Amino acid sequence: MTEPKGRERWRPTRTKLVASGIVIGGFWLTSLNWWFLLLVGIGTFGPGVLREIGWLHDKDEFQRHADQRAGYHAFLTSGLTAFVLVPFFRSGERSINDTQELATFFLVLLWFTWLLSALVAYWGAHKAAARFLYVFGSAVLVFTIISNIGPEWTGWAALLMHPLLAAPFFALAWLSGRWPRVTGILLLAAFIFFLQFFRFNLERVTDGVTFILFLGPLLAGGIALLLAGKKTEDPDDADELLITGN
Amino acid sequence: MKSHHDIQTFVRRRRLLADMTQQELADRVGVTRQTILSIEKGKYTPSVALALCLAEVFDVSVESLFQLKKGENDD
Repeated sequence: MTEPKGRERWRPTRTKLVASGIVIGGFWLTSLNWWFLLLVGIGTFGPGVLREIGWLHDKDEFQRHADQRAGYHAFLTSGLTAFVLVPFFRSGERSINDTQELATFFLVLLWFTWLLSALVAYWGAHKAAARFLYVFGSAVLVFTIISNIGPEWTGWAALLMHPLLAAPFFALAWLSGRWPRVTGILLLAAFIFFLQFFRFNLERVTDGVTFILFLGPLLAGGIALLLAGKKTEDPDDADELLITGN
Repeated sequence: MKSHHDIQTFVRRRRLLADMTQQELADRVGVTRQTILSIEKGKYTPSVALALCLAEVFDVSVESLFQLKKGENDD
């Protein structure tokens, strides 16, 4: 047996580059007209449609399997949510004030569920959970720093103390590889804590979007780690990054 | 009672004996390295076509790469 040789550096495919460009361009152009959001849809879902009709063959069987499984998870999540929301709004006690926000909520739920499922399939539960937490912690760190500088300068003490809020997320990311089940339980506890702390009012759809983007990774990471259990060391772990859903 | 089957894979062992990296094997059978990794870790069961390609690369039978592990509750 020989020593494993260096792995090849990951590079995005042409499909990913083109689709990502269309998505980014579409988002940017929505500042001119909201109809440009169609480009975002084309960039996000277009390659998948082309693969299903057999015009695009850029993914191998494992990647297609992971995509289809993630799509099934998104279908289940969105469907169940719809069957909760319909009686919620048709019970006669509530009404939908923001139909466009409701559409946005379902788009975010659909895409985010797909993304989380695909990432777990590609990276495995441990690596996916660790990366969620590193991204989360980094976002909290950046947010707390930005909110403490500039015109709303709050002093050096606040600038040094507030970023410490990110520390638990980095700590959990480190722990996830060593004690995955413990980390999973802590993530679920964090999910419950933030659920109470932010007092999400799910009658407001914007709160629903924030709930998905902020608490979704905590819930998904916690469940994934609890189910995955102890990590087996593997020096050949792939390190490929999925940027968009394409 | 419904039976449950797990697949035991010997792809990694064969690959190391052949002094091959995951990327080299992936290139030989036309898939990504991630796919080979997932097969070796038992996270993904390849299609018949891919299993046959892998067997052809190592010049062995498919059964020497993948074996069935029957569950305890078989009929």
